[in-house]
Amino acid sequence: MNEIAVMNGNFAAATAARLARPEVIAAYPITPQTPVVEYLTQFAAEGTLDSQMTEVESEHSAMSILSGASMAGARCYTATSSQGLALMYEPYFRASTLRLPIVMNIVNREMISPQSVWGGPQDSLTLRDAGWIQIYVEDNQEILDTTIQAFRIAEDPRVLLPVNVCYDGFYLSHMTERVELPTQKQVDGFLPPYEAKHQILDPRKPMAIDPLTNGYLVMEYRKKHMAAQAAALGVLAEVDRDYTALTGRSWKGAIDEYRMDDAEYAVVTLGSVTGACREMVDAKRAAGVRMGLVKIRCLRPFPRAAIAAALSKVKGFGVIDRNVSFGWNHGIIYQEVKAALYGSGCSLPSISFIGGLGGEDLTLDLVSQAFDAIVASVDAGKTVDEAVWLWSPRKGVK
Amino acid sequence: MSVVDTLAEREDMISPGISACIGCNVELTLRTVMKVLGPNTILAIPPGCMGGVGVVGWNKRSGSKVPVFFPLLDNTASMLAGIRLAYDAKGRDANVVAFAGDGATVDAGFQALSGVAERGDRIIYICYDNEGYMNTGYQRSSSTSKGSWTSTTPVSKEGRGGKRQNGKDFPMIMAMHDIPYVATASPAYIPDLVRKVEEAMKVKEGLAYIHVYNPCPTGWGIKPEESIMVSRLAVKTRFFPLYEARNRKFRITVPVPKPLPVRDFTSRIKKFSHLNEEEIADLGKLAEERYLFLEGACARSSADA
Repeated sequence: MNEIAVMNGNFAAATAARLARPEVIAAYPITPQTPVVEYLTQFAAEGTLDSQMTEVESEHSAMSILSGASMAGARCYTATSSQGLALMYEPYFRASTLRLPIVMNIVNREMISPQSVWGGPQDSLTLRDAGWIQIYVEDNQEILDTTIQAFRIAEDPRVLLPVNVCYDGFYLSHMTERVELPTQKQVDGFLPPYEAKHQILDPRKPMAIDPLTNGYLVMEYRKKHMAAQAAALGVLAEVDRDYTALTGRSWKGAIDEYRMDDAEYAVVTLGSVTGACREMVDAKRAAGVRMGLVKIRCLRPFPRAAIAAALSKVKGFGVIDRNVSFGWNHGIIYQEVKAALYGSGCSLPSISFIGGLGGEDLTLDLVSQAFDAIVASVDAGKTVDEAVWLWSPRKGVK
Repeated sequence: MSVVDTLAEREDMISPGISACIGCNVELTLRTVMKVLGPNTILAIPPGCMGGVGVVGWNKRSGSKVPVFFPLLDNTASMLAGIRLAYDAKGRDANVVAFAGDGATVDAGFQALSGVAERGDRIIYICYDNEGYMNTGYQRSSSTSKGSWTSTTPVSKEGRGGKRQNGKDFPMIMAMHDIPYVATASPAYIPDLVRKVEEAMKVKEGLAYIHVYNPCPTGWGIKPEESIMVSRLAVKTRFFPLYEARNRKFRITVPVPKPLPVRDFTSRIKKFSHLNEEEIADLGKLAEERYLFLEGACARSSADA
């Protein structure tokens, strides 16, 4: 039996990073990620962190340092949030296109403006097409397990891409839960040392990395990058199986289904709101409504076949987004799911919900209203064009 | 080994086929520096002239015999810091070196470089300062001298215009970070440059920074055959003094006791040709003030010692 501890999401992320033994860590504090940096520097002070740890002057430099370190063959880790991610966009995009298997937790926080420090995955979702693998998790155990797994996925020779493990700011980062810890020996067996073969800055094997490159080679690089994204779905499932053999816990790969076997209606979720939705699925089931849930874990690569297969079982669905897609005026995940269904020839009544922005609470009442709206629109056989906003009445809010 | 022997016997680490302009003294500087640094070197060439002429390479071919890469314009110092950390983690050593233009150093790259200086990451950072973004047709940088014509500080037909501000005294800014080694250098003083690179290689903790002043024949309007002469005149007029500083202890390495008038330097450069006597005199005055400040720093350093 593994050790059981009580910890918040940030401590779970820092603990996973410590267990993975990255050779280089560079980080800059930003709310709500700050405690991750504090925990790691504390581990370093106590001598329990087996890494070169540097506290940098910006997120731009954090990702730049890790890019250099990864090009020199080191396993690398960092974490950030929101504006920090925006500041590192330049080296962020480049880390994926240079095929650097860096692991970064994103502690999801709303993008400003308005000025806000609270939760919401707008930060990382806006960057979904920057070439990274992005996995979104639901609770602190999943943060720990997935962050450890992320190194295996990133460094797999079939993948060689950087990985984000994203978790909701405050709801998970500062919430305390029970977490089972694998031993160092278990993690060492699960994660062999990283050996860079595709590119390496080493005077014993001089090579130029990223010289000026013609368009036809740029196209070759992009095509191979996409093939690596596609391969990552299989690797994700494989890594989950190995991890299950080690710990007994499975996170089911790219999506997780809850009570979908005989469901008539489905809700699609991402991140910590999944917990409230599971509870409401049970409540609606108790009231005779055959509701099920599809949780998207892996947003990039997008598991379009799995999502289409899961939703092909129901009469219609809704998606709860804690983010917006300006211009589409729906949630981002809603658009992604609809695109997956179109490709599979499956046209179902659907509805886009937007709520929980800027850390606003998605209460059970609001989730219940959303489920009722799904049932109403699906029973009417209609897709609702405009996004439905989930919020509690407040004085002065229009 | 004498400097002549060093340069004659050491291997040229840069491809013979790179396409720098006629009279380019940056290419000369790079080849010289790389002979001193030798094969156990990892080289970062951010976007700029030396990237443009092919030192990092083209498609799948390298322009250098050592490991070389393009950092971004603004993260050269931090990418190198990461390489150093990785090498430390693996218990290995190599020269971890930037060869970066002034745009990648004094403008967009300054934050990353200042961060590396403060944290004491052990890298060698060499800036080739040609006072602007030369490989894209000479746009102004914050290193460009006052009065200079550039493509973004143009001059009217009546001769009005040019850059309105003085350039940063960047090596002095770096010296004020209290780093183990800062030096200025010139392609007209190769033995001085070679010795300073050797000094930089001896630094075992922290940043070594060398700022080379490289007048640009193409961008500034200098006859290619006068490339080295104009570089030397920058030193002899005190426009660009050659010195070194260790943890704020300064020493002038090429003293200029009797400076030539600044006009001897500026009159050979087309980018200053629209300036009147007073404006040229102002350039000389600023150079003199900076030189006096430097002499004061040297005097205080020797008094402390």
